[in-house]
Amino acid sequence: MTDVPSPLMRQTLLDRELVRPIDRPVIRMLPWLDVVAIGGHAIFDKGRDALLPLADELRALLPGRKLLMLTGSGIRGRHVMSVGYDLGLPTGVVASLASVEAEQNGQLLAALLAADGVSYVSHATVAHQLAGHLATAPAVVSSGYPPYGLHEFPPEEGALPVHRSDAGAFLLADAYGARNLVYVKDEEGADALDPLVRELLTTAKHTRAVRVVNGLEPGAVTAALTGGNAGTLVEA
Amino acid sequence: MTPHNAAAPETDLTSLLMSRAMTDPELRRASATAPSTRILPDVTVLKVGGQSFIDRGAAAVHPLVEELVEIKQRHRLLIGTGGGTRARHAYAMAAELGLPTGILSQIGAAVAGQNATMLGYLMARHGVPVVGAAALPALALYLNDSGAAIFAGMPPYDMWQRVPAEGVIPPYRTDAGCWLVAETYGCASMIFVKDEDGLYTANPKTDPSATFVPRATVDEIIEMKLPDVVVERPLLELMRNAKHVRSIQVVNGLKPGLVRRAVEGEHVGTIITAD
Repeated sequence: MTDVPSPLMRQTLLDRELVRPIDRPVIRMLPWLDVVAIGGHAIFDKGRDALLPLADELRALLPGRKLLMLTGSGIRGRHVMSVGYDLGLPTGVVASLASVEAEQNGQLLAALLAADGVSYVSHATVAHQLAGHLATAPAVVSSGYPPYGLHEFPPEEGALPVHRSDAGAFLLADAYGARNLVYVKDEEGADALDPLVRELLTTAKHTRAVRVVNGLEPGAVTAALTGGNAGTLVEA
Repeated sequence: MTPHNAAAPETDLTSLLMSRAMTDPELRRASATAPSTRILPDVTVLKVGGQSFIDRGAAAVHPLVEELVEIKQRHRLLIGTGGGTRARHAYAMAAELGLPTGILSQIGAAVAGQNATMLGYLMARHGVPVVGAAALPALALYLNDSGAAIFAGMPPYDMWQRVPAEGVIPPYRTDAGCWLVAETYGCASMIFVKDEDGLYTANPKTDPSATFVPRATVDEIIEMKLPDVVVERPLLELMRNAKHVRSIQVVNGLKPGLVRRAVEGEHVGTIITAD
């Protein structure tokens, strides 16, 4: 059979020298996108007292902005993990189970913002139709957990899923070339961030800095998205 | 709210999971005590190469299909597919357009899907189905009914694919995708069906000085600093942390009988081990 002619034709993609000739700068697909990653444990587990003021703040930020809100899993994710591990289920299965809780938190947030045109969308929509959805809505909500699931990496130590919601939000923000990535936690230190994000920062094409803000502090998310010096800046 | 009162099995791991950060070192250590069951312990995962096999057409694929049909009488098989020359064309185009790795990952997945579709039609009369990601929970039924099932090998990372240090080619492609299925399901073995006898010190198609390596550890391969390796490099890193599938075998599917012998545990190609 013949090959489709291309610079990569008949090579294994494993030879560094042969892959290099097609190296080009990567475009920012959605340069106006703001990504806000909202912690499961840090925000959602605190319930109404944390979530309602944050939803109000996010609502006020909607006009003139395109927001992708990504949610973490929190305490129910931990519970399903503990049941899964007790049953002897492998990391990839546990990762799939925990990601469901991040989805549920996303559904809750989207419901609060529904009247403002915000919906929960699936991973498939985020990956393939985000531009269309954000052309008609100021924001969408999805699960921060990346779709690694059964294809989760075996961890270096132990059995906890390697790619969780902090890493998922980072990979997505970088792939779209988003202008901002803000992590909403219950403290503003860099320690609140998954160390994997620091590692990903070193190879990212666009996202070379992220902000970690305390979402329990009124105005912190707004300041972070409007160029203020809120929270902690974590750079590559 | 009192978030810590949900009932869960009482073990140290449980109490740490309910109280500590996911990055807590004690929690991470405790998670190592969790048992890990092999979900499909008697299944062999085979990866049929795209460029190295399916792109060769009937001359390569038809005899392999006959061999797979014979093997599945006695061994349960999960058959993953690679991408190949169309994936390379699409990767090259997308890279030249400045598109991000996530887009390349989506496109590569579609090509592996085409190869799974074609293999599926060839094996349909033998009762072998193609399973999509959503049908994986029904895998046990398919394997019981027909002894084999086909899947597209690309991992579902899509826009969440890790980016390489250089360039935009997705680092985790169909070799990693198939192996991760084997590892998560705790399968018996992982065999890569290619058009070469296994690992060489250089690309045997372009370098006549290339010599064959029958067995090597992951560390040995990384140390050799080979310009070209027969499997995706990041797979070697993943294998270091494997709980179940700590060795893989690369075999030449163009030579009749080698795939069957590899499934039966014979050393007929290159065996790569985690340690």
